[in-house]
Amino acid sequence: MAKTRASEHHAGAAGKDLFYALIPGSVFVAFCLGLLFVPLPWRVAWPWVPSLGIELALVVDGLAAQFILLITGIGTLVFAYGAGYLAGDCRRHRVFVVLSLFMAAMLGAVASDNLLSLFVFWELTSVFSFLLVGFNHEQESSRKSAQQALLLTGFGGLCLLAGIILLTSVSGSSSLEILISRAPQYSSEPLLKAALALIFLGAFTKSAQFPFHFWLPNAMAAPTPVSAYLHSATMVKLGIYLLARLDAAFSDMIFWEYALIGAGTLTAVIAAGQTLLERDLKRILAWSTIATLGTLVMLVGLPGKGAALAVCTLFFAHALYKAPLFFVAGNLDHGAGTRDIDKLTGMRHHMPWTATIALLASLSMAGLPLTFGFIAKDAITLAKAQAGTLDLVSYATVFINGISVAVAAIAAIRVFWGVDTASAAVRPQEVPLCMVLPPFILVALGIVFGLKPTLVDPVLGSAVLAISPGFDPAAVQSSYDIAPVLEAVLGSLIFGGLVYRFWDRLHLLLRRGPHFDRLGPEAWYRWTLAALPILAARQTRLLQHGDLPRYLMTLIGTTTLLVLMLLVIARPPWNWPDQSSLTLPVVGASLLIAAGALTSLMVRNLLVLLLVSGLVGYGSAILFLFTGAPDLAFTQFAVETVFVVVAATVLLRLRRLSTGAASPRGGWLPKALRLLLAAACGTTMAVLLLLVSGSPFDQQLSDFFGEQSLAVARGRNVVNVIIVDFRAFDTLGEIAVLAFALLAALPLLGAVKRRLP
Amino acid sequence: MTWAVALAVGVVIAAGTWLALSRSLLRCLIGLALLGNGVNLLLFASGRLTVNLPPVIDAAESLLAKASNPLPQALVLTAIVISFALLCFSLVLAIRLLESAGHDDLALLRAAEPPANDATKPVLEEDR
Repeated sequence: MAKTRASEHHAGAAGKDLFYALIPGSVFVAFCLGLLFVPLPWRVAWPWVPSLGIELALVVDGLAAQFILLITGIGTLVFAYGAGYLAGDCRRHRVFVVLSLFMAAMLGAVASDNLLSLFVFWELTSVFSFLLVGFNHEQESSRKSAQQALLLTGFGGLCLLAGIILLTSVSGSSSLEILISRAPQYSSEPLLKAALALIFLGAFTKSAQFPFHFWLPNAMAAPTPVSAYLHSATMVKLGIYLLARLDAAFSDMIFWEYALIGAGTLTAVIAAGQTLLERDLKRILAWSTIATLGTLVMLVGLPGKGAALAVCTLFFAHALYKAPLFFVAGNLDHGAGTRDIDKLTGMRHHMPWTATIALLASLSMAGLPLTFGFIAKDAITLAKAQAGTLDLVSYATVFINGISVAVAAIAAIRVFWGVDTASAAVRPQEVPLCMVLPPFILVALGIVFGLKPTLVDPVLGSAVLAISPGFDPAAVQSSYDIAPVLEAVLGSLIFGGLVYRFWDRLHLLLRRGPHFDRLGPEAWYRWTLAALPILAARQTRLLQHGDLPRYLMTLIGTTTLLVLMLLVIARPPWNWPDQSSLTLPVVGASLLIAAGALTSLMVRNLLVLLLVSGLVGYGSAILFLFTGAPDLAFTQFAVETVFVVVAATVLLRLRRLSTGAASPRGGWLPKALRLLLAAACGTTMAVLLLLVSGSPFDQQLSDFFGEQSLAVARGRNVVNVIIVDFRAFDTLGEIAVLAFALLAALPLLGAVKRRLP
Repeated sequence: MTWAVALAVGVVIAAGTWLALSRSLLRCLIGLALLGNGVNLLLFASGRLTVNLPPVIDAAESLLAKASNPLPQALVLTAIVISFALLCFSLVLAIRLLESAGHDDLALLRAAEPPANDATKPVLEEDR
C-alpha cells in the first residue's frame, strides 16, 4: 500500500521502459501476420527422444492460436502498463525479464503437441509465477504467498506428470493429436480414469479450483501488472486450456462430464460467496476470477456442441474485462494509495479516465447488451439449453452471475461515484497516460466486439473447431432465441443489484458467521505445513535414537524379514536336499561348529568366550579341508589363530576380562525379543541354505572358469587363478582394504600404547 | 551332508545375532565375528558340497575334471580376509573406547545423538 503516489517525477522514466513492450508486441504482430497469410494448423517437429519415439512438436491450431493472441496481445498492454506502474522501482527490470520468460513458457505450453514438453513448460510457468508473486520478498506475507502458490501448483504439476505418464501408457502415444484421434480405442481401459483424475488434479491446482483455490487471492501480493497477466488472463487459464484440449477425446465419458461440472460449479459458488468477505478491491476481483474459472471448467464438462463455443467466448470476454479491472485496482493503488473499498468513494472527480475504464469494463462483466460480455452470456445460456443441465447448476449460475454483477457495480459505482471524501491534503490524482491507455484499449475492444461480434468469428470459430471437431455454426444460429438470454441477464441484474445494495450488511453478517477460511482448505494447508516438520522430527527420533543394540536389531530384523519375504513371495519349489552321502569328517566339523556357537552363549568370562568362539573358526577350517577347499582351510586356520591370539593379548593387557552386563538387565521383553530375533535369523538362513541346495544348480560360471583357467590364464589351481587373474581388480581392492585398516589402526593403537603401562 | 552344514549355519548365525545384540561392546564384536563365519559357511555350502577334491587341473589334463566348485571358494577366500580386516579394526576401535570410557556397556555410552535432554533419549534401565 505504501506506494509513492506522485506520478510526475517518474513520468519520464516510464518512457524508456516502454521499449520492453516491444518484446510481446513484436511477437503479437508477427503472429497476426502469420495468421493472415498461412492457414492453420501450423506444425513443426524435431526429434527429441528418438529411442522412445518422442518428438518435440509444436502445433498451432485454432485453440492454440486464440491463446497465443491473448498471451501476446494482453502481454503487450501489460508490459506497457507495467512501465508506468513500476516506474522508479529499481527492481522493475527483473519483473520485465521474468515476465518475458513467463510469456515464452506460456507460448511453449499452448503450442506443445507432446504432453511431456507441455509439462515442462507448465512447470516453468509455475516457477516464474513464484518469482513474480514473491516480488516484494522483504515482506513475509509476500514470501508466504509465493511459497503457497509454488507448493500447490508444484503438487499439481507432479500429479499432472503422473497422469501424463499413465495416459501415455494407456493410449500408446504422448502426442496430443494422436492420442485424441485414437481415443475411442482405449476409452474403456480401467487405468484411463486414474490418468484423468491425476490430470484433473494438475489442472485444478493450476486453475485454482476448489479445494486448491485459495492460493490465487493470496497471490495478489504480486504487483498489479503481474496479477492482471498471470493470475487473471493467462496462467490460471492453462488448466482450462488442457481440459478443453482433451475435451475432444473424452467428452463422451460420464466421469469426465460429472467431475468437471461438479468441481467447476462448486468452485464458482464458493468463490462467489467468498467475494462478500473481502474489502480489498484486488482480492474481490481475484475471487470473482476464481468464480469465472469455475464456470469455465463447468462449461468444458457440459456435453453438447454449444459448450465449446461458450468456453472460447468466455475466455475472450473475461480477458477483455477482467484485465482492465485489475488495472483499475492498480491505478487506484497508485493514484489514491489504497484499494480498500471502504476508503474509496467519489474517485471519478480525481481519476476520470480510470472511472470511465471501470464503467465500461463493468458493463461487460455484468453482461449488459452491446458489450462482449453479453455475447459470452449468450453463448453460455445457449450451451446450457443444449446440454439440458441440472436445476442445481442453473440455480448456481444465477447466484454466480448475480455476485459478478454486484462486483462490477462495486468496481464501477461504489468506488467512483458517491460523495467525494478525500481531504485536500491527500489529493488523489489521475495516473499517467501509459497506465490509462492499455486498459482503455481492452475495454474499447470489448465494446467494439460486442457491437460487431462477427469481427472475432474467424478466431473463435477455429478455436471451437479444435475443441469440438464437428461444430457447425449454422446449427447454433438456426436454434437461436434471444428471450432466455435476456431473462438470464435481467435475473442476474436484479439479484446483483440487491446484493450490491446490501453489500455491507451481508459482509458483516458473513463476517460474524462461521469462518470458512479457518476450517476450510486453507486451514488444512496451514496444518499440513505445520505438521510436516513435527512429523519429520518424530520420525528422525524414532529411527535415530542413539542406541546401538536397537540399531543392530533393526538391521538384522530387516534383513531377516526381507529374506523371509523373498522365500514366501518367490515361492521356490520346496525341494529339500536328500540326506545321502554323509561323510563323517563333515558331520563332525558341523557338530564342532554348532557346539562352539552354543557354548559361547553360556560363557560369562570374556577370554573363555573368545577361545570358544575360536572353535567355530577351526570347525569351519576342518569343514573346508574335507570338502575340497584346502586353500580356504589354511587361510581360515591362520586368520582365526591370529585373531584369537591378538584379541586375547589385548584383553589381558587391558585386564578387563569380565565385563559387567552381558545382556540387558531387567525387563523380560528386550530379552525375549533378542532371543526371538536370534532364533528367527538363524532358522531363516538355515532354511535358505537348504532350499538353495535343493533347487537345480546352474554351473555355467564354474564351468567357464574350469575351462579357461589353463587355456587363458596358464594356471592349474583354479581358485588361485580366479583370485589373482580373473578377479584381479577385486583382489587389489581387498589388499587396499587391508592396508587402510592397518593405516587407520596404527595411530589409534599408538594412542592406547602411550597411556597404558 | 547339507543338513549338517545347514544346522551349523543356523546355530552360528543365531548365536552371532544373540551376541551382537549384547550390551557389551566386546561381546558384540565376537558376535560380529560369528556372524561373518556363518555367512561364509552359507555362501560356501550354497555352491554345493559334492566331492572332496580340490579344484586343481591335473598335469595331464587341460580342463578341470570332476572337482569341487571353485567359484564360491574364491569368493569366500576374499570374504575371510576382508572380515579379518574389519574385525581387527573394530577391535582397535573398541580398545580405544574401553581405554577412554573405562567400560564397554553400550547403554552407558551416551555421547551420541540425541542430546541428553531430548524426550527420545533411551532411558537407562537403572533409571526406570
